[in-house]
Amino acid sequence: MSTADPPIRDGTGRASVRIPEALDVDQAFDATGLHALRSTVAAHASSLDVAAWQVETLVILASELATNAIRHGGGGGRLRMWHDEDAIFCQVSDEGPGIVDQSVGFTLPRFDQAHGRGLWICRAIARELVVERGAHGRGAVVTAVFRRDA
Amino acid sequence: MGDRGVAGTIEPGDHACLTFSDAEERLDLVAAFVRNGLRSGSKVVCWTDAHGPERLATELALRSVRAGAALRRGQLQIAPISTALFSSPGADAARMVDALAGELDLAGRSGYSSVRITADMGWATRPLAAAEALVAFESAVADLFTDGRLCLICQYDRDRFDAVTLAFAAKAHPKTLTAQVYFEHPLLRICRQYSPPGVRIAGELDYRHRDILEQALAESMRLDRHMHVNLAGLQYIDGACAGSIVAAATRLPASRRMTLVCRRSVATVLDLVGGGCAPRLRVQAFDEHS
Repeated sequence: MSTADPPIRDGTGRASVRIPEALDVDQAFDATGLHALRSTVAAHASSLDVAAWQVETLVILASELATNAIRHGGGGGRLRMWHDEDAIFCQVSDEGPGIVDQSVGFTLPRFDQAHGRGLWICRAIARELVVERGAHGRGAVVTAVFRRDA
Repeated sequence: MGDRGVAGTIEPGDHACLTFSDAEERLDLVAAFVRNGLRSGSKVVCWTDAHGPERLATELALRSVRAGAALRRGQLQIAPISTALFSSPGADAARMVDALAGELDLAGRSGYSSVRITADMGWATRPLAAAEALVAFESAVADLFTDGRLCLICQYDRDRFDAVTLAFAAKAHPKTLTAQVYFEHPLLRICRQYSPPGVRIAGELDYRHRDILEQALAESMRLDRHMHVNLAGLQYIDGACAGSIVAAATRLPASRRMTLVCRRSVATVLDLVGGGCAPRLRVQAFDEHS
């Protein structure tokens, strides 16, 4: 996948997320790379002039998105991070079956349910969570928008 | 090697070898040994080496042992092993056995029917400390246990003693005491905490080790009235594992509770997966940046 392939958004309305040329992070990952991924996100977030608790929250967000791709999106994926004046963007793309159930993450799973907490956490942390299909309709692309003034 | 045991299984008349590689693990086991001894009305003596007496008293208090009150009434005594066993220069096995017999005698005259002693054997690894005295002591001390009044736990740091000495120590002691470790890896350690009883987890915890987490929680739920989940050394937890902890707390009956210590970022995840709605869960969060 390259930045030239725009993701296709499920549903209607809003234009799909545009990935800028200049990225803070662009890293492929699988289950063995989760620790490294968290370190990378923490290091880059720390350099963006945000509070310590916001760095921690971004690590939680990125890690949950990546975990989701590993567990449900074919075992791995690609993390991109970029920022502008108002927000930090964290996007995870994978080549799995895509997120079929669009309602996932809108309610907290019951305590005895095994799955579904990852996207719930992401929706709780991010100002906006955009779920799209990948290029050519394959995989999932999830973009979290994290407001600096959150 | 003798029976493998955990702290709760130590009984009067036991001579056990506590091996450890983690400072917290050793302090946990010592705290459980002291707490159980104080509860059963025994005289308890701690001979220290790596930590001084004041530090040990503080560490015991942090682990729910009321060391201060016990020290004041003389039931608990904490002293450096150097002054307790080697008041004159040089280590001599016969003198060490005499010192132990002296403690037993003194406790008997003070009205205690039994004595629990725990000794940090780290002194034997220092230069000129005559490791052969250690070997002679561990062998000669056996006679003191025959009437069941003495219970002695000798602490051996696995990282400081050589394999030959450790193998000897394991053989010389009828019982071996080790902390239960569910998972050990440079990035994650899940073990049982003995005082206050529960689970201790350090490192980074995510869904890949959720089954081990649930096993450790289930054991604590079975053994402990109130569960203490010590996550002070945990840098990261994911939603899946936080969900397992909240689920365990939710399953506790109303008369029991789970007390959890963690840094702020871990508390955030617990809260996001419903920790705030679990009435039996008490989260004590600290800010690692302040």
